[in-house]
Amino acid sequence: MSAATQYYIATILVYICVNVIASWGLDLQFGVTGVLNFAFIIFQAAGAYTAAMLSLGPSSASGSFQHYLIGVHLPFPLPLIGAMLVGGALSALIGLITLRRLRSDYQAMVMLVISVVATLVAESVIGLANGSAGLSLIPNPAQALSGFTRQTQTWFFVGLCVICMLIVGAVMYALVYSPYGRVLRGVRENESAVEAMGRNATRARMQVFVIGGAMAALSGALLAQFIGAWAPSGWLYPETFVFFTAVIVGGRGSVSGVAIGAALVAVGIQQAVQYMPIGSDPTLLAALEWIITGLVTLIFLWLRPQGLLPERRRRYRRARPARLARAEVRDPVGT
Amino acid sequence: MAVFVSAVGFGVVTAAILAISAVGFTLQFSVTNVFNLAFGSVMTLSGFVAYWLNAAGLNVWVAMAAAALSGGLISLAINEVIYTPFIRHGLNLFGMVIVTISVAVIFDHGLQAAVGPTFFSYVAPAGRAFHFADFVLTRQELIIIGIALVLTILVQVGLQYTRVGKAMRGLAVNASLARACGIPTRQVIALAWFVSGVLAGIGGVALFLDTSTFTATTGSEFLIVIIAAAVLGGIGSPRGAVLGALVVGIVTEVGAAYWNPELKDVLAFGVLIAVLLVRPQGLFSRLATERAITR
Repeated sequence: MSAATQYYIATILVYICVNVIASWGLDLQFGVTGVLNFAFIIFQAAGAYTAAMLSLGPSSASGSFQHYLIGVHLPFPLPLIGAMLVGGALSALIGLITLRRLRSDYQAMVMLVISVVATLVAESVIGLANGSAGLSLIPNPAQALSGFTRQTQTWFFVGLCVICMLIVGAVMYALVYSPYGRVLRGVRENESAVEAMGRNATRARMQVFVIGGAMAALSGALLAQFIGAWAPSGWLYPETFVFFTAVIVGGRGSVSGVAIGAALVAVGIQQAVQYMPIGSDPTLLAALEWIITGLVTLIFLWLRPQGLLPERRRRYRRARPARLARAEVRDPVGT
Repeated sequence: MAVFVSAVGFGVVTAAILAISAVGFTLQFSVTNVFNLAFGSVMTLSGFVAYWLNAAGLNVWVAMAAAALSGGLISLAINEVIYTPFIRHGLNLFGMVIVTISVAVIFDHGLQAAVGPTFFSYVAPAGRAFHFADFVLTRQELIIIGIALVLTILVQVGLQYTRVGKAMRGLAVNASLARACGIPTRQVIALAWFVSGVLAGIGGVALFLDTSTFTATTGSEFLIVIIAAAVLGGIGSPRGAVLGALVVGIVTEVGAAYWNPELKDVLAFGVLIAVLLVRPQGLFSRLATERAITR
């Protein structure tokens, strides 16, 4: 296999892992618990920037061509861990503002507003993360391993991404298919019933907001380390929509389904557009990608709102007449 | 002081554009409870209808009237062809938010694919400048303020005194009771979408006149500020939307005069979040919880 083909395959694998991790974060919030987080992309961005700031070293070291906060050079796992901590902390802060008191339709709108605010601040406060130019030369931890070719290093990084994905997947399975997961689904289906059973719905929402935010941050950190650059134009608020599509296509609340949805939507659509015989005008290709993503969402919401691999619903046959159980399965996305 | 006064002047212009759009956004929401995130796309599309007419030699104010009509028709068509079937299909409030985003994405990028990523502008002279103390406003800006005044008063009077306005308010309070009283809910909802689209069309052309250059995504970018104004006033309340528009418009322009102009919207969003922390339902809305979609 030529070096270029190898690099192409490695890139696709990294993008799949990153998008699966991020989509799981959103699935935990939106799919399982029913929190509409329209600011999801800013937690990915927070992770990316944190990982960059914790691995780039002081901004004066490279002749101060870019300006940013902190600027330390920490060894391998620390930038990723730092990114997750910052993602979680930012989620906790925003969750405290929005999730506690606002009615849920306002929550969704305020999230949109927060996403735009974050972009505006990152673009215009240069000292924060180098403004709209963004950060570049972000070190890739695999390239610090000496004695290997560049190609082998790339495959090491792919391995790191796969390991991260497997860990996050294990966390998802542990959370979703457990008594705690039942509480989360209860918050989505019927909040008052959950509260009547003595569970705190707002606390559950806050918890998934923080955990999902940390997952988003991890995905951003890995992606920034792989590309080596990160700028505000890459995380404008419509980008969150791609993850929503991934969750809807895969199946809300289903762990394996959302993994498939993320691979198909976030990577598959983009790749498919590249091979279409419509020329190579980047604006046209990007526009087409968005149009297809929008159409796919509408088609799935209409024809298969439960997604490709639907969330398995346990049926308690003896406790409930079959007629009711069937009605529940037909229950479309809205619930 | 002169800086402050002229900043307030710009703020009133921004507020006028915001008020037209936010009243359209909130009126439709109060009747149907659909959060229509494609509202910005309707603004852009009708703005481009006006652009093509204007480029063909039509006066921009006549083009604005045409944009109003096309905005109303586009909005009505989106509701009849896409939203209503999805609502009948059983989607709830949040499923519908995803549907409206999808529509916005398809429209914006469809338009982008058609016209390209270039900047457009109307052929419209700003007219002579008028001085009132330290206020300096062009003829164009004065006309926009006048249109905003007339439209917001019309909507308010219409809702308060006409039969159909009362029907809309009835639907907003209790849809099934309204239907039981013999109000033709389907037609009233269709009218709400049409009026909302008309206001989007006028707001879109006013916005494009004010920004002087625009692209296929300008409307959707501005939508976030419209939402901030509408939520600030309390979503579903046209009076609140006007007040929210005034606060957001003046805060942003005064902020731009004294602070970093790139961060002017951040200031408005900061006001929104601060108000919601104190009064979670917004300034004018009485409801502390969301309501289901009107079917």
